[in-house]
Amino acid sequence: MVIIGLPTNGSGGLNEVFSPRFGRCNSFTFVTLEDGKIKEVKAVQNHAADAMGGAGIQAAQIVGENGATEVIVGFLGPNASQSLNALNLKIFQAPNQQLTVKELIDLYIQGKLTANIGSNVGAHYGMSRGMGGGGGGGRRS
Amino acid sequence: MSQRPKVICVTGGKGGTGKTLVAVNLAIMFKNDGYKVLLIDGDVENPNTYLLLGGSLENKTEVPFFIPKIIEDKCTKCGLCAQNCAPHALLHIPDAFPIPILAVCSGCKLCYKICPEEAIEADSKVIGWTYSTRVNDLSLFIGELKPTEARSATIVEDLLEDLDDIIEKEPDKFDIVVLDTAPGAHCDVEHLIKKADFVIPVTEPTKFGKLDLIRIIDLILLLKKDYRAIVNRSSLLGFRDEFLKELKEKKITVLGDIPLDDEIVNSYCQGIPLMEKNSDFDKNGAGYVAFKKLFANLKEWIQLNSDKNTGGK
Repeated sequence: MVIIGLPTNGSGGLNEVFSPRFGRCNSFTFVTLEDGKIKEVKAVQNHAADAMGGAGIQAAQIVGENGATEVIVGFLGPNASQSLNALNLKIFQAPNQQLTVKELIDLYIQGKLTANIGSNVGAHYGMSRGMGGGGGGGRRS
Repeated sequence: MSQRPKVICVTGGKGGTGKTLVAVNLAIMFKNDGYKVLLIDGDVENPNTYLLLGGSLENKTEVPFFIPKIIEDKCTKCGLCAQNCAPHALLHIPDAFPIPILAVCSGCKLCYKICPEEAIEADSKVIGWTYSTRVNDLSLFIGELKPTEARSATIVEDLLEDLDDIIEKEPDKFDIVVLDTAPGAHCDVEHLIKKADFVIPVTEPTKFGKLDLIRIIDLILLLKKDYRAIVNRSSLLGFRDEFLKELKEKKITVLGDIPLDDEIVNSYCQGIPLMEKNSDFDKNGAGYVAFKKLFANLKEWIQLNSDKNTGGK
């Protein structure tokens, strides 16, 4: 049995459009597969979407908390990539086209998805412009 | 009368205007007058005050940055650390050990402090160094950020904590402290401005110079500090009078200006400060005379300020 997490638009679900953003997608959809068949579908809201920073980490946490063993992603920032790897999740790369969750799960079952090779965009990629970078301060020991 | 040293911060926003030139020579002039002076180089990405003084980097001390280390034998996986981590630098899912994501860790040590099982150890990495040396009867503190590290403000904080220690334990060790900042208006510069009693932004008579000066003054005023600007290379392209007039129109107070002078370049190249007491530089040169005048204006400003604080004479 595997539980596959996917970032999704809207409120999620099998017919929802897959979201190429990971850290700041609207929702996550979790599909449980057993013997190549869909057993359960669950959707949760992504409360990390509005985070100033560390959205990728919080999003990875949501995915982990919901028991996912694998994820399918589009664009992945450095924090998200590091976090998903730290959780030992198998990460698959979605092709660069608009697909629904159902369509991606079908591709997965057919073994047509390639493995994700790591972060492929910079930090804050999914945010609208105008949010600062920062990263200066911090305290010493 | 307060024994605490007077702190002067030389900044500017725009890079290459002559902050270090001014900071070093002000320090030298105070020293010549018999004051006990500490010069702190807070431009930790490019520390070079010691070059202008013909000094070297000594007494190298590492600046550590906190790294949380989870002790799995003690950790109960309660997740309290992750819940309270403001930058979300601890990844925690139920029934798993928290995973530090070091790239976003701010080093605040909250996790280390609140863990109910004391299961987080304070590990550290070196993010830079500080140096302290004595050259030319001046005490010199220098900070240096390790290349690829981003937190210059942390090195500056380390330098300022050393300063705080001195002010608290040996308040009359120094009469004057001069702070040299990096270019820009980032938080490393902010920390140094905040520490100062007097702030001197250094600019040049160009459009860039004026804009960056206005920007750094915005920061200085936001921090509720008193400032007087210096226009360096004032004779550049003959813009001096016009530029000073523009600053006056913007109600920007000017401490003085320094014209172009080959002797200044010579002093740079030789690593001997222009205003060094027994130097061979032309004492009637335009640069030398300008610095003397600046120094007199600065002392007057300091006196004015202390009259104000003691209720006037």
